[in-house]
Amino acid sequence: MTARATIIPFRPKPRRAEKLISNGVLGMLLFVFVEVMLFAGFISAFVIIKSRAVGSVWPPPNQPRLPFEETAVNTSALIASGIVLLIAHRLYQRGKESVGVLLALATVLGGVFVWLQGTEWLALIREGLTLTSSNYGALFYTIIGAHAAHAVVAICVLAWAWLRMTRGRLSREAMSTVSLFWYFVVLVWPFLYFQVYL
Amino acid sequence: MLGAAGAAVAMVAAMPEALHACPVCFDRDDEARIAFLATTGLLTLLPLGMVLGTGAWLRRRARELRGDEGGGEE
Repeated sequence: MTARATIIPFRPKPRRAEKLISNGVLGMLLFVFVEVMLFAGFISAFVIIKSRAVGSVWPPPNQPRLPFEETAVNTSALIASGIVLLIAHRLYQRGKESVGVLLALATVLGGVFVWLQGTEWLALIREGLTLTSSNYGALFYTIIGAHAAHAVVAICVLAWAWLRMTRGRLSREAMSTVSLFWYFVVLVWPFLYFQVYL
Repeated sequence: MLGAAGAAVAMVAAMPEALHACPVCFDRDDEARIAFLATTGLLTLLPLGMVLGTGAWLRRRARELRGDEGGGEE
């Protein structure tokens, strides 16, 4: 009687193929492309209307000037928020789970930006700059208002992501998708700021 | 017929200002003309840049993934 050893060939467990791009990120990328074109259209309209201003005087003489220096504070808060989120995003992608504080900080800084914008708008309305006061007012509130609307929605999405993160239910893909939206809001702002406020 | 159409196109190309064929390129005001041209360029090149940029990024990422898979099998 001979003992026969059964040879079981070693078969490595097949690795799950990594996706080229997640569905969420692809969807957000397409959305961001559309929004970039929307803001490019706004900026184009602004540049052309400004170039055809009567007597080349811009802003119109009877309209208040936009607070370029004060808005630099809002801009700093927004850019700081983007940097904090970038750090949080990178750490989360590398597997560090405890970035809730950074995500919350990015959300709060975004909130500060929107709040300062709101107070600035109230002051401008009191000074007589409204949607119907001139092309200048109409363009200002349309362009900056569209950005503020995006910022508010993005802050809500960041807050949702933070809640999910604190419960340990935020996937890496969801973090990338949310971050992409906020990066768009942050990166489009300097173009609007230098074009509209300066 | 084709000759007449060709002549019309040639006239428009040769005298766009007189024919008001292109308000973007031949605005009276220099500043407005530059603004028209700059924004036309922006709105033309921006979508192309975004599509090409995304294509290049996806290609690089695909190469990285292929590299990872190749390295794992060795």
